[in-house]
Amino acid sequence: MPTPIVLLTRLLLFWLLGTTVLWADPGVLVVMNSASGVESLTRDQVVNIFLGRFRQLPNGMPALPIDQPADQPLKATFYQRLVNKQLAEIRAYWARLVFSGKTTPPRQAETPEQVLQWLAENPGAVAYLDTDPPSQVRIVFVLSAAP
Amino acid sequence: MNRGGLIDPFAVGTCGMTIQATVRGICCRAPINSITVLRRSGLMVSMKRSSAIIRYALTCLFLVFLCLRTAVTPAAALPTGIDLSLNGFGTVALARSTDDSAQFVRDLSQPDGLTRGWHFENDSLLGVQANLSMGPQWQGVLQVVSRYQYDSTFTPEITWGFLRYDPNPVWSLRAGRLGTEFYMLADSRLVGYSYVTVRPPVDFYGTFPFNTVDGLDIAAATPVAGGLLRGKLYAGINQELSPLGRDPDFDMSGSLLEGGYLDFFKGAWQIRLGHSRLRFEHDLPVESFYDRLPTATADELRVAGKWSSFTSFGLTYDGGPLQSQFMLSKTHNDHGTFQDTWAGYLILSYRRGDLTPFIGLSAVKSAPRTLEQPVYPYTDLYQADFHSDQRTTFFGVRWDFMEKMCLKAQVDIVRGTADSIFLYRWETPDWDGSMTVFSLGWDFIF
Repeated sequence: MPTPIVLLTRLLLFWLLGTTVLWADPGVLVVMNSASGVESLTRDQVVNIFLGRFRQLPNGMPALPIDQPADQPLKATFYQRLVNKQLAEIRAYWARLVFSGKTTPPRQAETPEQVLQWLAENPGAVAYLDTDPPSQVRIVFVLSAAP
Repeated sequence: MNRGGLIDPFAVGTCGMTIQATVRGICCRAPINSITVLRRSGLMVSMKRSSAIIRYALTCLFLVFLCLRTAVTPAAALPTGIDLSLNGFGTVALARSTDDSAQFVRDLSQPDGLTRGWHFENDSLLGVQANLSMGPQWQGVLQVVSRYQYDSTFTPEITWGFLRYDPNPVWSLRAGRLGTEFYMLADSRLVGYSYVTVRPPVDFYGTFPFNTVDGLDIAAATPVAGGLLRGKLYAGINQELSPLGRDPDFDMSGSLLEGGYLDFFKGAWQIRLGHSRLRFEHDLPVESFYDRLPTATADELRVAGKWSSFTSFGLTYDGGPLQSQFMLSKTHNDHGTFQDTWAGYLILSYRRGDLTPFIGLSAVKSAPRTLEQPVYPYTDLYQADFHSDQRTTFFGVRWDFMEKMCLKAQVDIVRGTADSIFLYRWETPDWDGSMTVFSLGWDFIF
């Protein structure tokens, strides 16, 4: 029978391990071209851009959101953390907007490389990555966990 | 609404049934001649239905073929140049009610509704949309939908067809054929995949037979107080027909619609305030009835040239797995025909994995306008045809079993008064205002 001290130590150990695991998670990185002139975005701004409610960057430029390929787990993780939604719900959301002639969904890349290419070519492009971005790409927001 | 009886309340007196002898107004409005019409039309309807289903199937095949042939892959480069995409949506649904004494319709654009047999046509539909992007600022949209409509056919109709200009992220202008935006779901109520229930609550959306206007709208958005404020103004002319009378249909073409709304988004919350008004161009096809009334009375009942207004408040919470939507509306009419109406609904859903169970409540209650020059009992009987007083409890589940597809099952328990007839077709003297509706639906997008 473990003593209370041992139990407490174990609990503390689990807690630390748990925190370490969370801390070690780099999160989903919302990125832009460093030439965009945008230093950072807020969560609300990222939501407005990716859900098509308001696609203006803080410097007045139009924002061009880019989605990772649909078969990449990163896309699901991004929306899970951004608005706590599954991809099926995101598709339902866009079905409503697209078929009522509202705004268009983010541009769908076919490969992760295409995301980087579009980021490099368009100063207003906003995308997300789960690895350290290459040079010329700036992290403007870190999505660490679901809201 | 009993279409056989609506045409001419005077017919009640002339066909041998005495009004005084009947206790409920509903009996008066189902005179002997209309019952004959009902029987005869029952046969006609079933014939019309089978041919409509064949036509629907052919249309589906044609549209799917069209899509397969012309599916366009997204352009390799980010938005520049011209990009054409073709998408679509559809629903295949079966539904039935527990009552043959009134037919449940999805909305008043449908001439016949559900009975105790399973019906395919009321909720099934297919839509195809072409989007043409011309640079980041210009877009053209054409949407064609085949669904069960006023003439009992699935003849495809253009539901959207407009040119859109977004000079910057703040402003947006559209001109052409646009969907009506009375209420939060009204602009996309045909797209079953986009909501959790089988159909938008009938108590709330069912009274609107109009889906489109030819006109323009202008929208703007701006961040305010840590949230986002978005507004829209629109105006246009309606071009639709509604089967309010047996023959001819109620011609709504030329009716002017104008209005606007304000949306405020903050976090998971959205609030909407909306106001619209509609001025009918034509009267209901009951001229022979009006002719027999004193001019002053008839003028009180005529809808042509008079305004109906729709004011609404909406509140949604969309925070992860929990979604809720609440709407309340008040309809006001400057004439004595359509009744001033309060309607509302609340839907709660909670997603668990691929399953989203939901539960909801909706209600509608209307009151006839007090006429200055009533002609008893004819004007009372006429006005009673437009009455609603009922509430619906509904529950069900949506199952996202595959990418871009879902299955839904729903039960609607309708409880109302026996004189709540506006939202139904072909009610008989047995109608007591209550029924249960069972629905199964398969929604998809492509």
